[in-house]
Amino acid sequence: MKVLGLRLALLVLLVAAWEIAGRTMNPLLGVPPSAVLPALRDLLLLRSYPDLPASLALTVREIATAYALAVAAGLGCGFMLGMHRLVGRVWGPMLAALYAVPAVVWYPSLMLFFGLDAASKIAFGFLLGFFPVALAVLAGIRQVNPQLVVVARAYGAGTVTVFRRVMLPAMMFTLVGGLRTGLALCVIGVIVGEILGSKAGIGALINHAYGLLRTGDYVALVLVTLILVVGSDVLASTVERRARRWTE
Amino acid sequence: MTVKALQLVTVLVALALWELAARLNWVDPLFVPAPSAVAPALVQIGGGALAGLADTLGKTALAYVLSVVLGVAAGIAVGSVRLLRDVLSPYVIALYGIPKILVLPWIVLLLGYGTTPAVFYGTLHGFFPIMVLVMGAVRDVDRTLVTVARSLGASTWQLYYKVLLPAIVPSVLAGMRLGIVFCLLGVLVVEMFAGLRGMGHLLSSFANGFQAPELFAATALVSAASIVIVLALDHLNEKLSSWRG
Repeated sequence: MKVLGLRLALLVLLVAAWEIAGRTMNPLLGVPPSAVLPALRDLLLLRSYPDLPASLALTVREIATAYALAVAAGLGCGFMLGMHRLVGRVWGPMLAALYAVPAVVWYPSLMLFFGLDAASKIAFGFLLGFFPVALAVLAGIRQVNPQLVVVARAYGAGTVTVFRRVMLPAMMFTLVGGLRTGLALCVIGVIVGEILGSKAGIGALINHAYGLLRTGDYVALVLVTLILVVGSDVLASTVERRARRWTE
Repeated sequence: MTVKALQLVTVLVALALWELAARLNWVDPLFVPAPSAVAPALVQIGGGALAGLADTLGKTALAYVLSVVLGVAAGIAVGSVRLLRDVLSPYVIALYGIPKILVLPWIVLLLGYGTTPAVFYGTLHGFFPIMVLVMGAVRDVDRTLVTVARSLGASTWQLYYKVLLPAIVPSVLAGMRLGIVFCLLGVLVVEMFAGLRGMGHLLSSFANGFQAPELFAATALVSAASIVIVLALDHLNEKLSSWRG
């Protein structure tokens, strides 16, 4: 109770500090909360950016496509590397080394290849989401107790049964965590892609507001984007809890 | 040994397929140049690219030192004081989780173009993962150790120095390994978004100029540099952990 109160007090303090700092700053740079609210109202009533729903829909579509591709490729690649010992030992470290490269270095090449439209954002979101999924499958397979597999086989379980009844439950915890991280990174990838260069989508609106020094609109757009980000993570964590309950 | 050989074969086969694809026009060489076109481009951009790389790595080093020092200090402070931890941890987790790219335009408005926003944004990227790891490690330090040290009359300073610090070394190292990639990422993003120099700026100007061979060469250079840095840190990590026993 005391902790909750202190948290709330801190939040109020931060907003107050933001308000004071925002009022003393150049209005082109500092936007106090009292100025954000009208901007947010204009944004949500579609006065400042009438194409907000279309932009949001495009961004969500890009994220969904990127995530679907990342999950498909990540699961495929992860299982391929995890099921074959030699393949895993040869390609596993190479995958980990590629993961060590900050992914944004690939973005200019992707933009050159796929153009300024949705395809380059999907490709970049895919690239970011792919690695955590693939690496989680690899780590998950390593967690399966090989003796359980041997015993199941000895009792006459087929490959499908072994996979469904033994491997999947043992891997689930790690796998679902990887899928959640993958979604978060897909969202970030698409937004980063849009901000670094795009013609449509929420990132393009943010860039537009920033470029015209419409700082109030910019902050309002950021808040709307944050709802999208937090919403996707809430969705993912709900699925995660369900999957973990199923395992137990 | 076979593993190393097979890895080499993989790289060679990939390069050969890529060369073939470009030669046979399966891909447009305007967008995907063959390796044989990228190699001369690497030589051609050599000096300028190395200067850009040095610039980027310099900013990254500064951001990295800042995020390690601040991240470890904040992690110990928040992690070891119960009330602070309870109150602050949701905020820390939230700040760690939100995409920092959203505040980048504002940082650029505030700090302008050039080195300062790059170092600031790089630090912002590296700070949170390190702090979160260290905070968790401090929280999970064996309570018995603390109690025993206390009852044997250790002062607060001794408690931090002799019990807490040695216990969190593995997490600090893990944070340092994670942080470097985040710092480099942050610096590159700023250079792409609002840079005047550095590899990020070079990459996006090659892309805007449709100079595909130069773009690929520069991408390969940055990737190689970051792989080398991470492998070196991993190596150092192993050395240190075998020394710790």
